[in-house]
Amino acid sequence: MSGEEEENAAELKIGEEFLKAKCLMNCEVALILDRKYEQLQQLSDDPTNQISQVFEKSMQYVKRFSRYKNQDAVRQVREILSRYRLAEFELCVLGNLCPETVEEAIAMVPSIKSKGRIHEDDAIEKMLNDLSLIKKFE
Amino acid sequence: MVFFEVEMQWNVLISPTELDAKGLLLQKAIIVRLMEEFASRKASKEHGYYVAVTSLNSIGEGKVRGLTGDVLFPVTFSCLTQKPAKGEILQGSVEKILKHGIFLKSGPMESIFLPEKMMKDYHYVAGENPVFLNDKHSKLEKDTIVRFKVLGFKWLEYDRQFQLLATLAGDFLGPI
Repeated sequence: MSGEEEENAAELKIGEEFLKAKCLMNCEVALILDRKYEQLQQLSDDPTNQISQVFEKSMQYVKRFSRYKNQDAVRQVREILSRYRLAEFELCVLGNLCPETVEEAIAMVPSIKSKGRIHEDDAIEKMLNDLSLIKKFE
Repeated sequence: MVFFEVEMQWNVLISPTELDAKGLLLQKAIIVRLMEEFASRKASKEHGYYVAVTSLNSIGEGKVRGLTGDVLFPVTFSCLTQKPAKGEILQGSVEKILKHGIFLKSGPMESIFLPEKMMKDYHYVAGENPVFLNDKHSKLEKDTIVRFKVLGFKWLEYDRQFQLLATLAGDFLGPI
């Protein structure tokens, strides 16, 4: 399909639904799925019909690949990243992969430097520093 | 991996036996049925993987269905979904090593293939536990975590899942 051929997340050429949708980082999803899991245990005696393999695998994955574990830290990460003019999709990739250098950040999310966007290296470096500070004090 | 929160509307079918319940019990029956349907559908080409229902937003008026007496309720709810994007950077773990490439898995995605040709300077090393090695002695073996880029993917209707093609060509990609 032509839509998929033009698609390229690196250039933020992703479908309308990706651009407009609310995106969540792994750490945010981990908190949600944990709560859901508990709720489901309470809702029914046998929640196996309501907990799919997709749910379980996603939960295992986000718990493993969440850099930030507690709710306040997670909120701070979202807050810090939101200060920079990023698309939801870009914000999540950065919050998930936690690049350590400006170079790595650009490699992970090339679109932050493209399309005539004003993301100076200094700004990117400050953003990464702010993120790493949360980790230190979590 | 990026998760989306989207709102959807599905129809939930409640059978006459459950309709004897009133008020809150009926709502619970609808929620349970919705969750079961959500879990069993697994994924779709359009939305990707159905991860979890996050909130029930509204339940519309029920419509009796012809002869069976079942009632159809239109339900609007929010949920988490996950869908791959071409060019996206993902993290996954090595599941199986073959001579011509590696199978990875990542979250709900179980069918990710990384061809040997796309593994930069890694080469296959046969043995009881085959691995991929490169000149700098970096190893790719079962359970190694790998950062890769999505070259492309397709939807497999029969299995109701996506099949991805991965590459390590790019900076900061490879085992972590």
